[in-house]
Amino acid sequence: MRRKPALGVSAVTVALAMGLAACGGTSTTPQSSGEPGQPAAADKADAALTGVFNPSTKKGGTIKMANSGDWDSLDPADTYYGYSWNFIRLYGRALTMFPGKPGAEGAKPVPDLAKELGKPSADFKTWTYTLRDGLKYEDGTPITSKDVAYGVARSFDRETFPNGPTYLNDLLDWPKDYKGPYKSKGADFSSAVETPDDKTVVFHLKQPFSGFDYLTQMSVTMPVPQAKDTGTKYQEHVISSGPYKFEKNEIGKGFTLVRNNQWDPATDPNRPALPERYEVSTNVNADDIDNRVISGDLHVAIEGTGVQPAALSKILPDPALKARTDNPTIQRLWYTSINPTVKPFDNKDCRIAIQYAADKTGYVAAYGGTTGGEIATHLLPPGIPGSQKIDLYPSPEGKGDLAKAKEHLAKCGHPNGFETNISYRAERDKEKKTAEGLKESLARVGINVTLKPYPLKDYFSLYAGKPSFVVKENLGLAINGWGSDWPDGYGFLQQMTDSRVIREGGGSSNLSVRIPEVDKMFDQVLQEADTAKREAIYAAIDKRVMEESVILPGIVAKSLLVRGKGLTNVLINDGQQMYDYVAMGIQ
Amino acid sequence: MFTYIIRRLIGAVLMLAIVSMATFAIFFLVPRLAGATPESMASRYVGRTATEETAKLAAERLGFNDPLIVQYGRYVKGIVAGADYDYGAGVEQCPAPCLGYSFITRQPVFPDLMDRLPITLSLAIGAAVIWVLLGVGIGVLSALRRGTLFDRAAMVIALAGVSLPIFFTALLSLQFFSYGNPFAWAAQGGYYVTFNDSPVLWAYGLLLPWITLAFLFAAGYARLTRAGMLETMNEDYIRTARAKGLVERKVITKHGLRAALTPIITIFGLDFGLLIGGAVLTESAYSLNGLGKYAIDAITNQDLPKVMGVTLLAALFVILANLIVDLLYAVVDPRVRLS
Amino acid sequence: MTAPLDVPESAAQAAPEAVVAGADRKAIQGRSLGQIAWMRLKRDKVAMTGAGVIVFLILVAVFAPVLVAWFGHPPLEFHRDMIDQTTQIPKDRFGGISWEYPFGVDPVWGRDIFSRILYGARISLLIAFLATLLSVGIGTVLGVVAGYFGGWVDSLISRAMDVFLAFPLLVFAIALAGVVPDRAFGLTGDTLRVSLLIFIIGFFNWPYIGRIIRGQTLSLREREFIDASRSLGARGPYIIFRELLPNLMAPILIYSTLLIPTNILFEAALSFLGVGVRPPTPTWGGMLAEAARIYTVPHYAIFPGLAIFITVLAFNLFGDGLRDALDPRGSR
Repeated sequence: MRRKPALGVSAVTVALAMGLAACGGTSTTPQSSGEPGQPAAADKADAALTGVFNPSTKKGGTIKMANSGDWDSLDPADTYYGYSWNFIRLYGRALTMFPGKPGAEGAKPVPDLAKELGKPSADFKTWTYTLRDGLKYEDGTPITSKDVAYGVARSFDRETFPNGPTYLNDLLDWPKDYKGPYKSKGADFSSAVETPDDKTVVFHLKQPFSGFDYLTQMSVTMPVPQAKDTGTKYQEHVISSGPYKFEKNEIGKGFTLVRNNQWDPATDPNRPALPERYEVSTNVNADDIDNRVISGDLHVAIEGTGVQPAALSKILPDPALKARTDNPTIQRLWYTSINPTVKPFDNKDCRIAIQYAADKTGYVAAYGGTTGGEIATHLLPPGIPGSQKIDLYPSPEGKGDLAKAKEHLAKCGHPNGFETNISYRAERDKEKKTAEGLKESLARVGINVTLKPYPLKDYFSLYAGKPSFVVKENLGLAINGWGSDWPDGYGFLQQMTDSRVIREGGGSSNLSVRIPEVDKMFDQVLQEADTAKREAIYAAIDKRVMEESVILPGIVAKSLLVRGKGLTNVLINDGQQMYDYVAMGIQ
Repeated sequence: MFTYIIRRLIGAVLMLAIVSMATFAIFFLVPRLAGATPESMASRYVGRTATEETAKLAAERLGFNDPLIVQYGRYVKGIVAGADYDYGAGVEQCPAPCLGYSFITRQPVFPDLMDRLPITLSLAIGAAVIWVLLGVGIGVLSALRRGTLFDRAAMVIALAGVSLPIFFTALLSLQFFSYGNPFAWAAQGGYYVTFNDSPVLWAYGLLLPWITLAFLFAAGYARLTRAGMLETMNEDYIRTARAKGLVERKVITKHGLRAALTPIITIFGLDFGLLIGGAVLTESAYSLNGLGKYAIDAITNQDLPKVMGVTLLAALFVILANLIVDLLYAVVDPRVRLS
Repeated sequence: MTAPLDVPESAAQAAPEAVVAGADRKAIQGRSLGQIAWMRLKRDKVAMTGAGVIVFLILVAVFAPVLVAWFGHPPLEFHRDMIDQTTQIPKDRFGGISWEYPFGVDPVWGRDIFSRILYGARISLLIAFLATLLSVGIGTVLGVVAGYFGGWVDSLISRAMDVFLAFPLLVFAIALAGVVPDRAFGLTGDTLRVSLLIFIIGFFNWPYIGRIIRGQTLSLREREFIDASRSLGARGPYIIFRELLPNLMAPILIYSTLLIPTNILFEAALSFLGVGVRPPTPTWGGMLAEAARIYTVPHYAIFPGLAIFITVLAFNLFGDGLRDALDPRGSR
């Protein structure tokens, strides 16, 4: 999931994996109960979760949004935040897109710039897209397939655009030593992306990849006119291909979007484009955003990660406010790695003792209570296909089973407990609280934990993600979290449990799972054509990792979102897992 | 006088050089000593999905492979002569003073700083006006009414003012006067409108930060003024002034206050200089996007060019403030001559 | 940078010139000054109240474990039954303040704020005292050396002080506290963090006191009794230790007392900004930082805030009184 940049992804392996996993991406989340378009104007909790809240086709109005931080970049080649991928569809069109529909429909790619979804060759190694007619940029110049290809080529330069996803870098058959259009000026990259004419884009893959439409819905396939490309400065004025264009953009402060009159609704069945304007401010105090959304001064907290603790304590006791909220479950797992490279966790029983000693209600509390997450007993979040309920270390209400914990401690030769350390990202208050909570609950069986905060920026590259550092500093436990870029068992599990993604130099988010059997199962999945069988393997991997007890699952994340006053067409779908900004309008 | 200023300016440049070297050392030398390689330092700035090759390229571009001296030299050269910056699709001239480009947002640092400066300046100037007027006023009154209830109360309140941590007062004031409370009259945290857009809203947004900040400083100034006044009012020349029949008000303002103000000016210079350099705590407590918050964010993100830039700017302000103070000194205190 | 202006009148820049005057008087009154000052101090009710509070705070800090055992709950003990599980704030009104929890409990974990405040006092006072000691130590030595020897030694030290004063200290301190690894100089955990904070706070504050001492030394150096002693054949070390230092004790004492509250605030600020002593060890600044995140629970901010306020105020009141006592001309 792209809520945060994927954590230390070794992209080569991802792409390799994706290549064979026929990434169906169909969500198992049941179809939303309400008919899309069913009237629901009265405030009701979770109204946008189960259907469309306040449906409308009325155009006009200004939606005001605020961001407590800032975009990694507005450049389609250089962004990896979930909200950014959600929002970018307003000013850019990729070959395919997740449509602004409720529930699972919102996570199925539909054609956008392309007339129809990609046409694969028989071996799934060549994908062909044909553009619609009448596509134009905001300046009236026509959009051609060359612009799409150029956009993909420039996104290859990860040194210039460090933030974006790297799937296409690894999957396409790029010329040897190709470094992108800036560093390899004029070099031919048709071995990767080919444009036989102005309407056709052909992708050449190194390996088969049946779910390629999921990759083309990412913003890297948005067209960029080469003549207007200004490298890292392009984010200051992205040339719009969507229904809105930049009126004014002050990086670090905010920007406004206005209608792009060159955008032709006839070419775009997926965007209602209701509002007249968008006003977005960045670097606004997070508590301030909550207060203003509640008061009606702002409409959307754009990050879509839920309100701050202060607002939480204001909203929940107030029925009127609570009715304005939605509380979606997100396909993200907050967990703690148990590092078997650190003594005494080389002993399986010591690891299992952690599973029994931990009080997971503390995990929930750290994330703001029941609206912040629900207890997880295994890895795959329920929304992901193949997820099966696994609970190998049961305890009443998740509060831990101290008798069992002591039993396992005795077996591993530390009947009175032991000393170890727990690392977390210093800037994240919730992780700090998680660590405090774990310290307290593990102390119940004599396991004495010392808290070790490290800077967020270097957490995986220099500290908890670096195997030698983990051993040197005795980081027995490391607070961690993971979500994949789209709902799929492979995308979710592989980065956190395949031992081959661990790099000695640091940077991997898999800190603790080194199980040869699991690696083998991943290889097996790549060869497996049948979806049901693949999903069975995901469940098996999940179970195997839990048996080895190298991960302590904490919670499956939830977020409490507040609907801004006067918004229409508010819905949350599996594609965005927050309010869909393309669908949204204003009274 | 002229040569004096020149000499002082040269001294200021030297000091800035030392400050920049020390900052550079903390952020570039210390990590190296702790075992960071050019690649590992660069890997912070190329995203999570970067391959080792990308990190290498970035290390090359950011110049981490060169010896520290060379890196520092390049930085100084940028300030003095400007630098060229490769933004991918071409090269851009970054005119002097070029404080480099952010490692993360890739925006030039200098315009960024100039963008933030008005906020910090607004905060500092507004607060300064309040605290000087209030502090000196109360100080003079206290001194003149020494031993009265007013004096005692003023001095205890003054001490209380100095003793309050600004992040606590900020928290409480926001809690009680903002955030949609029944008697909320002040803007919420982070509210800022530029003076040009609307002077009224500008003042409205900054009023609460001004008052809390001024409260902290006014206290010190009141105490200082009072002490200074008490001392000077005992001086012989005051007695002389009175003896020659000067009106008491004139004695106080023209002779007493003038001498008592000398130390105030010194302290004011230092305080004000430090404050422009970044009212770190006030800005983070009120979520004002000024230089102080900029500095904190830059440190959190390990965005070295930003840290360097803001440190240098802050040091520059302190040094300038000192210089101005010393010049003013000569004006206020006839005993001081600049040589 | 201030060389041409470094006449004694402006020397004690960071401080009122009253101290210079104090030194004058002391030289005249000689040895009885201590007793006179003590008498004056005893009469100053405000200062004595401050002193009383300080003594009380020190006792509280020293005996925190005992007090907590009697009246409170261990500072790290969770009381989640006191917390509403959906909102994560205390169930009862006023943050759960009761006889059992005189200051209430903190959000999420329900830890006893009373005992966290008491334990926080230990960290605050320890760091403030030791950092002050460090600043005063460095400041006195360098100040005396600069003032006594003059010439290039003075220039060098004065320039160093200028550089220090020009640094944005807080920014620097945060940066430094952030880059120091987890284990260094053979220390780990809280010990390392506390030592680090003492070093940072103490080290960055010395120029303030250094300037004052230098100014005092400059003015004392020219006085008759030093001349006399020199003409009797006394050497540098003798003059410094036997003649200068005793006469510098008053300003040193006064500024130490006034530096302690500054350092308490400094430590609180660093903890507030997240670079202080590490959790779960309670600190006042750290508690305020958490309170800022959940401002809907005001009691959580009020107690640590008041703790800082009262402590700092007590030191300021006492320091103020001490200055008045040692420097008769300033007030009475």
